[in-house]
This record gives sequence, C-alpha cells and structure tokens, in this order.
Amino acid sequence: MTHTHCPYCSLQCGMRLERRGRAALEVQAWPEFPVNEGALCRKGWTAAGLRGSRERLTSPLVRDRASGELRAASWDEALDLVAARLTALRGQHGPDSVAVFGGGGLTNEKAYQLGKLARVALGTSQIDYNGRWCMSSAASAANQAFGIDRGLPFPLADVEGSDVLVLVGSNLAETMPPAARHLDRLRERGGRVVVVDPRRTATAQRADTFLQPVPGTDLALALGLLHLVVARGGVDEEYVAARTTGFDVVRRTVAAWWPERVERVTGVPASELRALADLLVGAAKVTVLTARGAEQHAQGTDTVLAWINLALALGMPGRESAGYGCLTGQGNGQGGREHGQKADQLPGYRMIDDPAAREHVARVWGVPADSLPGAGRSAYELLDSLGTDDGARALLVFGSNIVVSAPNATHVTRRLEALDLLVVADLVMSETAAMADVVLPVTQWAEETGTMTNLEGRVVLRERAVAPPDGVWSDLEVMAGLASRLGSPVAFSTDAEEVFSELGRASAGGRADYAGITYDRIREEHGVFWPCPSAGHPGTPRLFAESFVTPDGRARCVSVEHRGPAEVPCDDYPVHLTTGRVLAQYQSGAQTRRIRVLPDDGPFVELHPMLADRIGAHDGDLVVVVTRRGELKAPARVVSTIRPDTVFVPFHWVGANRLTNDALDPSSRMPEFKVCAAAVRT
Amino acid sequence: MSAARRIVVVGSGMAATRLVEELVARGAGEGVVVLGDEPHAPYNRILLSAVLEGTHPVAALTLREPEWYAAHGVDLRLGARVLGVDRERRDVMLADGTVVPYDRLVLATGSIPSLPPIRGLVRLDGRLHERVHAFRSLDDCTRLMGALTSLGVTDPCGLVTNRRPSGQKPAVCDQTAGATHTRAVMVGGGLLGLQVARALSVRGLATEIVEGGEHLLRSQVGGAAGRVLARDLRRLGTTVYTGARAVRLSDLSGDTDGADATGGTIGTVGLRLDNGYTLETDLVVLTAGGRPSTALARGAGLEVRRGIVVDEHLASVTDPDVHAIGDCAEHAGRTTGFVAPAWEQAAILADRLTGGGAVHTGSRTVARLRATGLDVAVLGDPERAAADGGEVVEVTNPVVGSHRKLVVRDGVIVAATLVGDLSRIGLITQYFDRGTRLAGAEPGQLLMGDRTAPPARLAADAEICACAGVSAGRIRACASLDEVRETTRATTGCGGCASAVRELLATRPALSGTT
Repeated sequence: MTHTHCPYCSLQCGMRLERRGRAALEVQAWPEFPVNEGALCRKGWTAAGLRGSRERLTSPLVRDRASGELRAASWDEALDLVAARLTALRGQHGPDSVAVFGGGGLTNEKAYQLGKLARVALGTSQIDYNGRWCMSSAASAANQAFGIDRGLPFPLADVEGSDVLVLVGSNLAETMPPAARHLDRLRERGGRVVVVDPRRTATAQRADTFLQPVPGTDLALALGLLHLVVARGGVDEEYVAARTTGFDVVRRTVAAWWPERVERVTGVPASELRALADLLVGAAKVTVLTARGAEQHAQGTDTVLAWINLALALGMPGRESAGYGCLTGQGNGQGGREHGQKADQLPGYRMIDDPAAREHVARVWGVPADSLPGAGRSAYELLDSLGTDDGARALLVFGSNIVVSAPNATHVTRRLEALDLLVVADLVMSETAAMADVVLPVTQWAEETGTMTNLEGRVVLRERAVAPPDGVWSDLEVMAGLASRLGSPVAFSTDAEEVFSELGRASAGGRADYAGITYDRIREEHGVFWPCPSAGHPGTPRLFAESFVTPDGRARCVSVEHRGPAEVPCDDYPVHLTTGRVLAQYQSGAQTRRIRVLPDDGPFVELHPMLADRIGAHDGDLVVVVTRRGELKAPARVVSTIRPDTVFVPFHWVGANRLTNDALDPSSRMPEFKVCAAAVRT
Repeated sequence: MSAARRIVVVGSGMAATRLVEELVARGAGEGVVVLGDEPHAPYNRILLSAVLEGTHPVAALTLREPEWYAAHGVDLRLGARVLGVDRERRDVMLADGTVVPYDRLVLATGSIPSLPPIRGLVRLDGRLHERVHAFRSLDDCTRLMGALTSLGVTDPCGLVTNRRPSGQKPAVCDQTAGATHTRAVMVGGGLLGLQVARALSVRGLATEIVEGGEHLLRSQVGGAAGRVLARDLRRLGTTVYTGARAVRLSDLSGDTDGADATGGTIGTVGLRLDNGYTLETDLVVLTAGGRPSTALARGAGLEVRRGIVVDEHLASVTDPDVHAIGDCAEHAGRTTGFVAPAWEQAAILADRLTGGGAVHTGSRTVARLRATGLDVAVLGDPERAAADGGEVVEVTNPVVGSHRKLVVRDGVIVAATLVGDLSRIGLITQYFDRGTRLAGAEPGQLLMGDRTAPPARLAADAEICACAGVSAGRIRACASLDEVRETTRATTGCGGCASAVRELLATRPALSGTT
C-alpha cells in the first residue's frame, strides 16, 4: 500500500495504490487527505491504466538517417549521440543554440534539476516551460499586487467559509471535480457561488449566479463591478487605507465604467451586473478565484489585476475565508514555476537578474555566479525562434507535448521541423515525440518518487509504488546521464530525496522557501505549505493576514484598462472561438487518451442552436472551424449553454491549437488561447 | 514636448478627458494644456442623473484628479473660460486675460442646454427663474439637489457620507424614505427627461413630463415604443403630456405649499401648456436636450452648421490645425450627443496628433437609458433605418409593457429599439456592433423567449455522473448507494450527482423475483 497523489491536475488528490499481482496497480481512496477527502474523478480512478500498456516506450529510439524511421537504441548510444550533437552545436553556435522545454507536470525535483541542467551543464539561457501557457498571467498579476505568487494563499477548503465565491473562467466541476464539493458545502452553509464563463458549464449549473460575458471581456466586467462597488459605498475604506497603495487612481479609472458601458462591451446585461455588485457589497466574506478563462489572454495579467483590485476594494485578501486566488491547472503548475525552469527565474522564485540570487544559487550549485546565463525567451517566443538565425538549433523536451498544446500549432510544428536536433523524454509516443530525432523513455508517476506543489502551495509527496518497466529511466537519471556526458562541472544526483534537499537549500531565503520541508514532514503532516524556511517552522497555510510580501507590506492596486482581444470578429471570421477541457481528458491527452476506459471521442465543436441554424448544421454533423492560422473539422455539438456568438473546441487533441492565436500578454507572455476570431461552416 | 507641438484642449468634459488619457497612454501628455471652464476636476457627466437618483455619490464621478494631470505633465486649468481664439496668432485668450498659444487646438466644448421658448423662464437679469433648473453640469446637479433639500426631500441613502467599516454590511438603501409631496415637471421627454423624471420619482417626488412631440423619445424611437414607454411611466407614477408645449411660467401666490419651514420667497410655480392646462409644481427641469456649443468656433471664423464641421481627420474644414471632437463636432452632416462616439473620436484624434493615420468613419451609437424601473435601449437610428428600406422585425407586448424592434439590412442588425425587455440586449448589441450577418430566422428568434424543454424521464443511457461516466441505467441496476459507489464510482468525484442518484434509486422499479 502506497500513499500518493493523482498524476493529473493541480488538485493533486490523495490516493492509495495497492499492488495487484506483479505489476498491476489498483487505485483506492485516501479519505484522510484533506484536499479531496477520498474523492476522485474518473481520471484519478483509472490513472493506473497506463501501467503495462503497450503504448509505453521501453527503449530509447534514435532516428535512422538512412530510412528516416525511429529505431531502438541503447541508453548509452542515445545519450552519447545527444551529448555529441549538443556539444558540437554549442562549439559552433554558442550555448544558446541549445534550448530546453519543461513542463508543469514535472515534479519539483525534475523541474529544479532541469533548470540546473540548462544553466550549469548546457550553459544556456534558453529554457522555459509549458506552465507559461497555464497560470502565468495570474502569477504575474499576483507578483505585482501581493509581491508573491502562490496560486491560493489559503487552503482550498477555506472557500467553504465564504459568503460569496466568484469563479472567473473556471470550470472546476469538470477540470478538478472533487474541488466542487467545497462549492456544495459553501452553498449548504447559505453562501452563494457566482460563475463567470461564456459557457454555462457544469460548474455554472451549480452556481447561484451565472454571468455569460463575451470571451475576452472579463477585465471590463471587473472594472464595471468595481465601479458599482465604489458607487454603492462598498469600498472597505479602512482596509484600503491601511493595507493598500494605488487605490485612488483605480477608483478614478473605474468611474468611466458604468454598467451600460460594461454591458455593451461584455454582453452582460447591466441588471445582472448590478445584482452581482449588490451581492458583493452585502457580503462580509468574498473570495474571487480566477482560472484559465480569465488568464489565457493577451490582457490576462491586467484582467487578473482588475479582479484583484475588486477583492482589495472589498477588503478581502488576508481575511479568513476570503480574498483572491488562482486555480492553477497543471499538476505541478505551482512548484514547476518556482524552481528554475522558467526563463527568468532561479530556484526559490528568485529572479535570475538579481545578483544576490545568482550568488546564492551558484554557491549551492558549486559554480561561479558569473557562469550562470541571464534571462532567456518565454515559452512561445523560444519555440517561435527555433531554427532561426538567432534561435536555438537543438531542443530538449521534458514533460510537454508541444505539438498539441502550443498556440498557432502549425507554425510551431514547422519551427520544430527546422531544428537540427529534437530530443523528447516521454512515457509514450506523443505527437511531439513522434517528431523527435531521439526519444528517451522515462518513468511515470507511480514508478518514481518526487514532490509536487498543489494549487494551494501545499508540497505533497508522490511515492514510488512499483518498479518501472525494464529499459525505462527516470528523468533524473536521464539528466544526470546527459550532464556527465556534457562535461558538467558538478554532478547531478539521481536520488529524488537528495535532489529535494538540495532544492531546499537553493530555495532558502527565496520567496518560495522550501528549506524546512522534508519527505518525512510531508508524510506526517499531509503536505507542508511553503514558505517553510526551517525545520522548526510549521509552514504557511495562509498568507497575508498581517501583511503582503511587498517592501512596504501593502498590496498594490494597479490601474488597468480594457484593451480587448487581439482579434475581434469581422466579416470573414464572425464568431469568437474559445478552447478548454473536458472532464475525461487531461491537457494534451498524451496520457488520458491512452487510458482505455476513458472516452476518447476526439475534438468537437460546441455551438448554439441559433448559430447551428445559421450555418445549417445539426448535432453530430461535421463542421469546419477556420481561423487566420488554420482549420479544424469536427462534429458539431449543438447546445444552448454557449453564447450564440461563440464556438468552443476542447484542446486535448491535435487541431484546436492550430486555430488559436499566438498574441502574447506583454507581461506574462501568455498566448491568447481563450479567444480569437473564427468562421464556422458545414 | 517642444513648443512647436503645443496641444491646447478647450473643454474638460468626457471627450476632452478621454483625449488626454489617450495622449498620455501614447506618451504624449507632456505639455498639453487643458482649459476647462467648470471649476471641478473632470467627472463622468452621464452619471449625473444617478447622483440625483441617489445610486452614485458625487465623489464616484471624478474621472481624474488634478494630481493625475500634473503627474503626467499635463497643464490642467480649471475654471478657465476661453473668450476667443485667434487663428492668425494661433492663441486663445481666457476670461482673465491670459493668452495661451497653440500649435494644435482641440475644441471639445460639448453642448449647452436648449432653452425652450417659455415666457417667464428667464429673469430680467438673464438668470433662470429660481424654480427652474437645467441639468447639464455638476453645478446644475448640485443646485437641483440643493433645491430638493430645501424642499424637504431627504437623501434616501446618505450616499455622500457612507463608508463601509471592515466586515460590516452597508445599510440597505430605503428608496421610499424620501417620499414627499414635492412636485417636479420635466420639460422635454427625451432620454434626459426620462432619466431625471425617474430619478426624482425614486426620490419621492411627484413627476410630470411635458413633451412637445407626439410621443416620448421622439428623436430615437417610433410611436409604438413611445406609447409603451408612456404607459410604463404612468405605471411608475409619472404623468406624461405629449403633443403639448409649455408656454408660460408664472409664480403662484397664496399657494398651499408655501407654509414650509424654508419660508422666504419661494413658492410654487404654474407652468401653462398650450393645451390649456396649467401644471402647478415646485420645480421645473429643462430636459429638452442641447445644442453643440459652437460660439468659440463661430467667433474664430470656422465653418459651423449645427456643429463645428470637421473632416475624417477630425480637423475643421476651415483650418487643419483646429480640431473638434464630441458633442460640438459635426461630421458627415451629423452631430452626436453620446459618449461612445466622442471617445472614439478622442482615440482617433490622439492617434493623429501623435503621428498616426487613424481615420474617423462614423460611429455606431447605443443609447441606453439609465433609470430605475425603465428599460430602454436604442441602437443606431431605427426610424431612419426603417425609412431607408431596412426590414423591420418587431414584437409589441402591451400586456407586459414591452416593445422590441430590430431593423435588418442584408441580414445585419443596423438599428434596434428595445423597450421593457432587455433580456437579449447583450447579444443584440454584440451583433449590432460587429455587423454580424444573421440567417433569416435569427432576428425573429432573438425576440422570442428561450424554449424551455419539457421534463422527461431519464433515458437509460443518460449520463448521471460525469466524473465517473455513469448512466442512469447503470445506477438503476444497483440496489443501494453503497453498491453504486463500489461498482460504478458514481458520487465519488465532485459529488454533484448525489441527489440524482438517490432519486434514481428511490424510484427504481422493484426487482422481480427477489425474495
């Protein structure tokens, strides 16, 4: 019996794994783990389905130059080949000719080690990860407003104590179903749930209030709500005066966002806006949570800032069962962004251009600080530059299926094709692995040990339950093997617990301080919340009660304006396209599409009956969605739960992201996944 | 900014403020001079009726503080009335004699209230009769609110002073608290007249509207909508006189209300209509609209018709270095009176003043009444669009007091009137603004209610638990909740299906053959 956590989303539900026979695993409930209390969705219950699957890769593969096919190779051959090619490229074109792409699903240990591999063994600045496409806008906003980026600054269960919970662009009932139990308890207590989404989702169906804005207008909605809160005298003036700066300018900015103007921009009737403002003003405890729907925009950071301003005006952040938080998406979306796989960061959420941070981390790594490269390109910009004159010529990919998950995917795929060398470490032959010159088979969740940091900032431990198949290495072993072949000045450990304690030292004194966390403490305490700077420190489940993490301890109210999406509908592309997830699949589907009992129905196009009538489509008919970047043919799903001016396509399959827009947020560098202009036809 | 690029803006209203914001956003705020004749920091004029009604405190209207202008290098001069523009010398002269040179002059002088031809309205000294109020500026609003106070009308919400101590709920606003016998007559039944009438009704006044045209909102809507509106207003307690002009205002001596504590000279007035009625009232509010404020432009020799005539660059057709935006400007034969087009013009002009090439092509307007209990939206110009051959799809429902009309041309909604039912406003406005081409049936569908599906017995393959992917049939096949959990995993995820599962178990047919 092993206690561990689900391999998928950021809720990191606790579960127990029981061995059945020699290699099979059975998932069982772990009722004592507080986040999910034994509940799991079908993805969790079936997570062991990939074990022993024929889809698993069990041997390194190397593309044969003559035939162009992948053929099995030994680990030595594969790693020697990779190291030799990388060394040659570095010699010829400099260290930035090699890039590294990580993932928000990697354990803390892997994410940390990947950053170290890039900075120490490869000496490249070109490292980023797919978490940039997850919650980076919320991260950027929270850093500006609160001086720290921890998705939820409180345990998730705290929301049960709110009087009003506002979910902006979150469909948690489908993306992290066990979390919805907290909504039900909140409502049983008499609290209200508000959902803001262009689709009346499963989450919206269990809400008391539902607002259905035009995609890309959540920012204007927040400005309009704050306008009404100001007008109704709902601002907590004492709190604003004592705990924030900058509110005066924000107050003036929202004076221009009266309800009827907001109605015209957002498509939300002024009466609904007023009703929600009244609800907020009348509530003692309000919690605002944003997710990808609000964040994956070219104005995602500003959108989050606008909602934070609303929470601050109401005096909520730091109050019990109230405040603002981000519902992180990927399993280790939180930890993955803290330990150095982000282009501009070093472990402990340190900034790579901060001399003191460089000094500290370099000392832990045993290298000179001036040997560390500076900041590199963000995820999309890194991929966009591949194979160009000043871009990288080789790419190492860990824990990401870029071909499916990158925006403007056709273009990105062409950039991957332009590489001299593509190396992909994965458990299965993902769409990206299939393009690689070298594929390295790695362990999956139950076959390795490591920590994850869930959406609450709670560091949890996934324990190894079973030995990996023969021929499969852990990512840590792959990185160590590469580092030594690349002539790294320092050794790379392959023991997760050892790497974690090194990570702790590297993070010590940083914003995300893990120094006091050990595997044993995690086991005993059902996870430990960072910051936890020392062995005697209890961890920090709740932030901001006394002060914020800014130099003066006050939250920053940042004045923002609504600019609107990068692409607006026109004659040729008259509808909005938005994308998202379905319950039974996870991210690019590399794992879940290979679990036999999970339905793998392929993408579909959700559209309203009025729009379906307009184009003459019936439920189930094949329809074509076209944007300026590509097209997708898929069956129509005709539902009255979506705005009639919007179509929705899930992104777990190749196709949706051929349509999406690569316009980037100026601050977070988040692509605009959640809205672009499209045409739909039969 | 060098003196050679000195931008001077005359006016500090909505258009001028937005222009400055746009210039600042483009890094070109430094050195801009703003000459506002009102003494107040720029404020959101369109919310004045909300202040009157009590839903907004005056302080919530301020758009930018003087400090903001200073911080961005903008020279904001309040209470600065411009007397004249000298285009030869390229400068303007203020009432205090100050001369301000310009390279580019922007006239954003807005509009001034129309004075209807009513005898007795204006006193011999040129000021309005003290019972008569205009409603254009913050000072007008303050004066009217002061009159309400002296007539004993209380502020229902105490909004001026309300603050929200930590964790406490604010007091609920009791909008009936201010009920009095005070009366007010609105002269002019347009958008402003309706808003002010509703605001005063909410404050407890008995209100009447006098409209010279055949129906209310005659500049915006047709007779059917106007009649629905009049009925709605009567239901809300406002008397409406259409087809009637006020012709004479006179003081009523020995009036019954004269005994109030404020005493002094004030008494009620009589407003005589051309149909013979005389309305006895405490207040008269002039809401007959406004006209572009063009005196400066005329004085400077610029071409003025109804407004200051500008080209697609928002430059005067007489002088390319003088621009006009907002209510005072006339482009392609049209003036507007709305904020959205004024702001579009401000953005375009800011772009041009900073070297861009944006061009003004005209705006789509959405006129939206802001008044409690009255739901009105007018998109574009429905009467003209219909007269120009647009196809009209309309639904009038006098039983519930709604009238909705879409004017469609080539499948595109080019104008619309929505009275009494704004349930689809969010979508209709989007289609209107985007010029979305609709199918033939869609305009009709937009005016119909949503079809509600009849309740149905759940089919065996209907999904009950999405988390675990379990159908109704599989649940009906279980004997107990425990069995459901064990065999199907339903209810073990988000928990949302628990009640549906219990219901299915409770209503499942008894298994035959069991003992």
